[in-house]
Amino acid sequence: MECAELNSKIASFEYTITEVATKVNISRPTAIMLQLQFTKDTLPDSVSNDFQNLNKFNEQQFTSLTEILFNFLLEPKEADRFLHQLSEFAGENGMSAGPLRNLMKSLLLLPHGSLKKNLTEDQVKEDLLTLGVSEDKADHFSQQWSLHYPVLSRLAVGQTLMVNQLVDMEWKFGVTVGTSELQKVGNTFLQLKLVIRKGNSTENVYMELTLPQFYNFLHEMERAKASMDCFS
Amino acid sequence: MAPMNTRHCKAPSKDAVRQLCADSFPSGAPESWRLAESTAGTLSVSAIEAKELIAALHTLSHHILFHNLTAPEQILVLFPKSFHPSLKILITKIMLEHSPTWRNEALSNQISLPHLVEMDWRVDMKTASDSVSRMAVPTCLVHMKVEDSSCLRGSGALSSVTVELSKETLDTMLDGLGRIRDQLSVVAGK
Repeated sequence: MECAELNSKIASFEYTITEVATKVNISRPTAIMLQLQFTKDTLPDSVSNDFQNLNKFNEQQFTSLTEILFNFLLEPKEADRFLHQLSEFAGENGMSAGPLRNLMKSLLLLPHGSLKKNLTEDQVKEDLLTLGVSEDKADHFSQQWSLHYPVLSRLAVGQTLMVNQLVDMEWKFGVTVGTSELQKVGNTFLQLKLVIRKGNSTENVYMELTLPQFYNFLHEMERAKASMDCFS
Repeated sequence: MAPMNTRHCKAPSKDAVRQLCADSFPSGAPESWRLAESTAGTLSVSAIEAKELIAALHTLSHHILFHNLTAPEQILVLFPKSFHPSLKILITKIMLEHSPTWRNEALSNQISLPHLVEMDWRVDMKTASDSVSRMAVPTCLVHMKVEDSSCLRGSGALSSVTVELSKETLDTMLDGLGRIRDQLSVVAGK
């Protein structure tokens, strides 16, 4: 019916979200979902409202909130600090902490989704505008996004699953002086201790290498590194 | 040494003596009744006498190995004065012949941490994960087989370890290995 025409109009941004919603008789949130890049899921009404409520903050307040948010993203383990900073902000600006926390939870969906989809600064800004955030706030947020993006993406990659990750390697080498069979010996040996992360605990693996084995090991590891360097 | 004198004289051939020296070297030899019996048969002596002979040869070969006696004179003085001369020389010759092999055997059997037996590696490219849907991150997997030498030789329990290394970890590891290599060349140069 009107689908094809609508699709082309959406593509050329001739219609606003509200027009799309009324034309096809769908809710505004569903219309938004059609255009968002950071997520394919339907955002609940509460989330859409939270984004629109961002417009109620003035420039300075929005800048502080953005800073608190990115501080948390850069150090995800500091959840307590994040909540503490939010309570402080709520107190200073005369609002209750509960709704503010919910607002931030909704806001967090955007950077998480954008990180997953590797969105650019422009794409993040588009999504914010689609959600009804004002131009200058969308501008500021997307600029902060592009500023912190390299660090955030490294963090995300670092969180990727690793199996039996090598955590530490200790070594010593020495000379065998004598044994119960031979009074005088002069054999060089190398002992390696590898610390491996298995789940939540670490495991130590001990092994001994003769010198030829050590040189072979070194050679193979250099080949592995050369291979990895090809790809980065 | 005295038991050796009389019994050895009855040995049918030089090869028999040679074989006996080789058979009496392993650590289980003095206790082996089977060896004692077969020796008794070869030399036409009683089993008990054969056992004493084996024990004597075992002690002699291990003594030579421990003190690393390489010159015939050093070994000849171990025998008592009344020992049959050509037998003395024959046994000395056989012991010296076998010494390098026995020495290597002893070295490879000594106690140590598990030995690295085999090692191989592979470089993978991670293309997606639950936190990032598109990425291109290389990662290295190293697989090592270690043999626990505290178990019987040859039937050592082979355990296997697979380790994953990121690029940074591999660089750091190579750093460490490079330092080992430098230290080794310093020691070798001295």
